Order: sequence, then structure tokens, then C-alpha cells
Amino acid sequence: MSKVFDTELPFPTLAKTALADAQLRANLAHATTTIRNKRLKVVGELDDWEELRNAGAAIKDYSLDHLDELCVELEKNVTAHGGVVHWARDAAEANDIVVKLVQATGVDSVVKVKSMATAEIELNVALEKHGITAYETDLAELIVQLGDDLPSHILVPAIHKNRSQIRQIFLDEMGKSGLAAPADLSNDPQELAAAARAHLRQRFLSAKVAISGANFVIADTGAVVVVESEGNGRMCLTLPETLISVVGIEKVLPNWQSLEVFMQLLPRSSTGERMNPYTSIFTGATPGNGPSDFHLVLIDNGRSSALAEETGRDVLRCIRCSACLNVCPVYERTGGHTYGNPYPGPIGAVLVPQLRRGQRTPLEDSLPYASSLCGACYVACPVKIDIPKILVRLRSEVVDEKRREHPRDPELLSMRVIEKGFSSARLFQRAIALGGLVGRLPLTTLRLLPPPLNKWSAARDAPLPPATSFRSWFARTHPEENISSPAPVTSTAAMVHHHDALHDAKPGHVGSDVAGREGVLSSISTALGTKGHTSTLSSQREYRIAGTLDADARRGLLKDRLVDYRANVVECDSQTLASTINQLLVAHPSQSVAAAADTPAQWLSEIAATVHLDEPALSVTDLDAIDSTLSGCAVAIAQTGTIVLDSGPHQGRRALSLIPDHLIVVIHDDQILEVVPEGVARVAANSTQTWISGPSATSDIELERIEGVHGPRTLDVVLVTSSL
Amino acid sequence: MKVALFITCVNDGLFPNTPRAVVEVLERLGHEVVFPTQQTCCGQMHLNAGYRQEGLHLAQRFREVFSEYDVIVSPSASCVGTVRDLYATSARSLGDDALADEFEEVGRRTYEFSEFLTDVLQVTNVGASFPHRVAYHPTCHSLRVLGLDEAPKTLLRNVEGLTLVEIPEEDACCGFGGMFSIKNSDTSVAMGQDKFAHVRATGADVLCALDNSCLTHIGGLASRAKSGIKIMHVAEILASREGAARV
Repeated sequence: MSKVFDTELPFPTLAKTALADAQLRANLAHATTTIRNKRLKVVGELDDWEELRNAGAAIKDYSLDHLDELCVELEKNVTAHGGVVHWARDAAEANDIVVKLVQATGVDSVVKVKSMATAEIELNVALEKHGITAYETDLAELIVQLGDDLPSHILVPAIHKNRSQIRQIFLDEMGKSGLAAPADLSNDPQELAAAARAHLRQRFLSAKVAISGANFVIADTGAVVVVESEGNGRMCLTLPETLISVVGIEKVLPNWQSLEVFMQLLPRSSTGERMNPYTSIFTGATPGNGPSDFHLVLIDNGRSSALAEETGRDVLRCIRCSACLNVCPVYERTGGHTYGNPYPGPIGAVLVPQLRRGQRTPLEDSLPYASSLCGACYVACPVKIDIPKILVRLRSEVVDEKRREHPRDPELLSMRVIEKGFSSARLFQRAIALGGLVGRLPLTTLRLLPPPLNKWSAARDAPLPPATSFRSWFARTHPEENISSPAPVTSTAAMVHHHDALHDAKPGHVGSDVAGREGVLSSISTALGTKGHTSTLSSQREYRIAGTLDADARRGLLKDRLVDYRANVVECDSQTLASTINQLLVAHPSQSVAAAADTPAQWLSEIAATVHLDEPALSVTDLDAIDSTLSGCAVAIAQTGTIVLDSGPHQGRRALSLIPDHLIVVIHDDQILEVVPEGVARVAANSTQTWISGPSATSDIELERIEGVHGPRTLDVVLVTSSL
Repeated sequence: MKVALFITCVNDGLFPNTPRAVVEVLERLGHEVVFPTQQTCCGQMHLNAGYRQEGLHLAQRFREVFSEYDVIVSPSASCVGTVRDLYATSARSLGDDALADEFEEVGRRTYEFSEFLTDVLQVTNVGASFPHRVAYHPTCHSLRVLGLDEAPKTLLRNVEGLTLVEIPEEDACCGFGGMFSIKNSDTSVAMGQDKFAHVRATGADVLCALDNSCLTHIGGLASRAKSGIKIMHVAEILASREGAARV
């Protein structure tokens, strides 16, 4: 049975266990420090980072303000491309939809791409109840699933495990559900990744149904965007006949162009890379080049309730990058399990209470307090969510609830007494005079304080109040400057209660008999109210949208960035292209090479290995037996070392560049662009795309990047120069 | 210039040497310092802990007590951050934009002490002398709410005899966090111990910051560990004439 979070215990109680685990703290400190430094380095490379953050926040704000319209537009475009859109008001409806879709295919197992949405709705448990096994394929999710553990990080769910612990889980568990790990497995991350590759290989190649989430869905094209590193995502999104993507309604972006912002913000913020190794982009069903059966399940599950609140709307901007976790000093010490749900860290502390309005437990009430309000999360957030401000706001909701439900609560009563004391200079002066009496005790420091301050003194000394307060000293030394005026008359804040009505939110829309689609759309419209739909999308793009380098410099930059991600780059001219290709195949060494049917004869003219053209289409098994693939590309983006394949000329189907373990890509000078916005502008918005930045890679073991998981482990790039 | 002191409740009752140092420095620089005696607490603890009603009451009280002063100076970055930022945010969260505007107005007149020296008075050398190895901890409110990064360090570097040392991962929170230090005391202490270890690694004799509350937390751990490191507010160092050549 898949493990799920089922605690209602408050954060401080859960933190105690985590803090006592020295190994956990060491693992977390190591991993978060690594990723923090990586993020700072790649963010520092962009001088338009602030402009990108502003644009990201503005696009998200616009999307949320028009969410019902955009969801309908998305539905229309996905449907037009042969996909089916389903709407779920809550987790139960979403699970029900997915279970029925899987059952209709007749399979009893599915492969999954890591997805926060499916973790949120606890889909794996629902599938298991119906006899369907869900195999997680992301390396970190695999570690968690094999170890019967819970995820503890949005990006790297196994961040709490180090390489030795991962090795042990692989040795103990892999054999129970598939190919066992080699007995001599070491704790070298490269070897661990290779074990995961071998364990999952057959599962990928034979899977009939896959389930994914999505990072973005684009309203004006119907495109689904899945950002990943290892190639497990590509396997799931490309090879099975049926694909079911479960996506929160807040993931919708208005248009294709907005991707130019988010494909810069997300990778740099999450894995600390200029670009993640793989991004898949597809619209609807893609028979012949991917799943022939595509379902998009849009889930509300508390999002429309959150949308009704200003703070909730801010939180819905989140792109799940996890930068806030990595910079959070609380997360670094307590880890993710302490947050008691799949969304940990600062974003979890503001997201979960808003998604679960009306379902207050001690856990939810404690989450807004699980922060020292240090503000590091706000600084790091790529879409500028002011998390500290929202935490404070959510705290006030907890207190307001306390006022209604528990008016005799000791904290509430003491905070009122303290406020009364502060409301009068006379009372305050008396209080510090009393403190001054303590200060006359023959002590230097206080080591024991009464409850609740004993929680302070358990580990910290407290200062002894001085015998003389500042105000007594000043009154004595500065009689002229001591300005006594009458006590101010302030009205006790009368404005407080009008807002409470908003918080008596009904928990979701469960039990309503309105159909899912109408239910979700009407909840969004209600949440947007009369103020909705008013914003417009600025056409001003303050960030860099065009490059400045000449062709040689662009090629040089691309080469540099590709090499940085361990691609092997060679330069040649059109005369030597054919021999260069052959040399790369010989060097690999390759006996066989796959290529698209329209591959130029010249590219193939000197190849000694057996060439398999994809006509008739090579089967998955055929491709798995072939050593290499030779491919052209649509464009390349120098700044991020990204090669964009759009299934166009000289490239063929997505499976070609995925299954063989060695990929050679040929890039001509006129295909090289400098910056991401140029690339997005050049590629057809509705094409079936794969963005490749280096060989397949993972950062799932201690957040250190290593190359080589499920996609091609060797990437050779041939830069064909017009003049050399 | 006439300066109204906002001393803060914590400094008044627990750390009077800090505001005394502020008075000394400002008077040494030739400014008139006044103390409105009706002042108490800015309401930070209440506002941050979710007690909006009580906190905003104290906020309005603050605004009235200081209504007639053009320049309000305080030796606490977190209290200034509260006045400048949290007051208006809290009022706006209740939909009271008019009140928020009034709070923003008083916020523009309120300065953190070191910020006042460098940004308003344009002073970067206060003529202090303090022959010690000093570590400066940029508190979260000074660094991320008020944006005070280099200015306080410049003031310290210009103190005669002072050696300023950088704390590893200096921008990491110390773990105080107001009521966080009680409500999540275990996590707070864990953060504090890491911070203290970093402070110790600098070999500094003195640890200073712009917030006595954070210093109480780190200092409480230091004292429990009998470390002997001295804890001081930046203002106290800027007021020091220790070891100065006699004129």
C-alpha cells in the first residue's frame, strides 16, 4: 500500500523527531547548500532576472484573473487536437476519473512521471484500491516508493536520503518488484542511476498507460509542457498508447509566448541549471509520434476557494520550483515530512492551509507559524510570492478562528493582557519597574523561566533586566527633552470583523450534484467575482528578447554551454560533415544508427554502421537494439545550451531521439539563436517538441548533477559552420 | 536636527545601554534628541503572531505618539520594519486603505539608527574607537526588509581599532523570529546553534547586530555555552571611545 501523509499533529511536535535525527540534518544541510549555491550562480548570470520575475508574476496574475476563460480555451484547443478534457472538483472526483480511464484500457499497471498534483490527491492509493499498480519512474520518487517512504521535497522527494541509504534501498527492494540491483552496487551516484535505468527499462518499453502532471498548460494552443531531467518523463509521455495528465487549474498560461519567461525562471530556480535536460511539449493526442489516446484531467481541489482570497491568489502563482524550500532555514533543519503533507517548506505552509480551508486540524493551524519570517523565500521566489506576508495573514486567520471557537485560549488571553499593558505608558513603566526588581537579584543571567517562557530557557539563558530602564535614565539626564504629552486616545480597531465572513468558507464543492465541468467553472467565476477579468496582459517585455552576438560568438556560446553539460561538441563544415558523423559513430562505438526517413543522403554517405531509416516505423524493440540515433533539429538556444527538436525535417518521431543510448544532433549556423525568447518565437507553437540540454541527467542524489539516466547517456553535437 | 527617539519596549526594559548609546552618538554629532514618554511597543509581536486587532491598536497608538515628529529614529531594524512595512500591510489586509496610507506616511518618517546615520546624515565615520575583533550579523529585518547591507558594515569598518570579520553564511536567519522562538523553540534553537557555531568560527570577541532581540537569542545560546563572546548592539560600538587617543 502506498504510504500517504495522515498526521494531524502540529509542526512543532513533528519537528522534534526530525531535529533529533542527526543523519537527516546532515543530509538536508548538504543538499540544500549545494542547490542554493547552484541557483545563485545561474541566476547571477542573467542581468534581467528581476524583469523576468516581474513578468512571471504578471503573467500568472493575468492567468488567474481570467482562469475560467483560459480553462475553456484550453479545453477547446486540447479537444481540437484529439485530446479529452475532464474536470474534477476534488480529489475523489479526480481519482475516480483516472481509475475509470485506466480500467477502460484493461491494464493493471501504469508508469508515472513525478507529479505534485497526483501526490496531492493520493492517486496511487486510489489506483491500488482498484488493483492497479502505479510505478513511479522519477529517480527520487522511485527511491521513496521502493523505501515505502514519504516524499520530503517538491523537486527531490528523496532529499532526506544520502547515497549510502539509497544504495541500501536499491539492494533490498528492487528485486521485489522487478529487476534486482546488481549485488556489487556501490554508492556512486552514477552507478545508482544506472541501476534505476536497468530496473525501469523494460517497464518503460512495455508500458501501455502513463500518468503525468504538467508544469504548464497553454490555453491558446492546448499544449502541455512537462519539464524534467532524467528522460523518464519522455519515456512516459512518448511510448505508451494512453497518457493521462492530471493538472491543477492554476497551471494554465495564456499563450505560447509566455513560455519564454517560465522556461527561464523554472530551471534556474529549481535545479539551478540554465535549462533542464529535457522538456516535452505536445498538444492533444499525437498518434504515430506519441500516445494516440490523451486525457487531460483538470483539478480544482480547493484552488477556486484559494482564488477567492487575495493571499490565495498570490499562492496560486507558484510554479513548484522549490527554491523557497532550498533557502528556508526551517526546512533545512526539519525536512519535508514535518510539514505533514506533500507540499513542504514555505510554499507548503501557505498553500496547504488555503487548499484545505474549512478542514482545520492542529497541523494546518501550526503551518503558518512554521517560519521565523526571515524573508529568504520571498527573495528567491521566481514569481515573487510574498510568503512572509501571507504567513502573517494566515496566522491572523488562525487567531480569528480562536477568538470565535476558543475565547478562553491562554495564548489569546495573555496576548490581550500584554496589549493592554502596552496601551498605557503608565502600565508599561510599572511592568519594566517590576522587571528592574528582578534585575537587583544577585545573578548575572536567568537560566530558568516560568511557562511558557521555559521553552526559551530550556536551551537559552535570558538577560537579567537592568535595575534602571532607559526611560528613567533619560528622564533624569534629559529633563528638557523628555516630552510628556497626554496619553493618546486610540479607537480599538473596529475594522477587524467585517472580513471574517470571507473566511467562513464552505469546504469545497463536495457532494454537489453539478457536473464537474460546470462545478469547477462556476466556482472559479464565483471566486473571481465582479473584480475578475479586468486585468490585461502587458505587451511590454522588459526582459531580453533578442540576442546581440554575431554568428561565431553564438556558436561559441552554444558550444560552451553544451560542453558544460557534458555534451561532446565537434565543429565541421558541410564538406566534412559526413565523415565527422561517421567518426562519432566509430568512436562511440556504434554498430547501428537510426535516422528519420528524410535524413539528407549526404549525412549518411560515409556511415560504416548499419543505418536504420524510420520507414516503416521502427518498433520500440527495434530502437532499443540500435546503438545510436542521428538527428537534425529545429533550433538551438546558445544561452542555455538547448537543442529544440520539433519532429520536423531530419528529426522524425520523438522516440528516435529517446531510446538509443547515443544521440548525435546536427546543428547548422542559421539554426543557432542566442536567447530563449528567440527560440520560443521561432518554433511552431503547436508542434510536438523535445527540448534537449545535454545528456539525460539527474540531481536526485544529494542534489548533485550526474549525467546518464533513462534518455541517451551520450550526446554528441555537430556544429556545421558555414565558413571554417 | 531634532530627532524623536523610538526606543522600543525591549530596549527600554532590557537593554537600556543601546538607546543610551544612540543618544550619545546623535548628541556627539550635534543633534537634538527628544523622547516622547507615551511610547511603548510598536505592536510587532502581536502583528506577526496574527493578533491583527491588538497589533493595529498599538500601531495606531504609535502613529499618534509620533504624529508631530519629522524624524523618528530607532535602534531596532525589526521594529522599524514593522512600522514601515507591516503596519500598512496589516491595514490593507482588512481592506482599510485609508489607514494603510496613514501608516505609510509615518513609515516614511521612521528610520533605523544606522540607516539614519548613513542615509540621512550622510555620516559614515562617527569618530568611535573600539579595538576588538567584531562579527556583524545582518538580521533578516535589517537585510531583507530594510535592505541594509553595506552601510552598517561601513560604519563599523570606520571605527578606530575595530577589525570586522564576516560570519560564514551571514545572511542566514538566527532562528529568533519573535514568537517563533517559543512556539517552535526546538527549530529556533537548532537554527541558533548553527548561527552561533558560525559566529564562533570567526574568532570574534564581540558579536553585534541591529536588533537586540536576535542578539538575545544568539547571546542566550552563547551564554549557556559559556563562550565568553560579548554581545553588543551596533549603536553601542558606535558610541564607544574605548582606547581612543586622548586629545
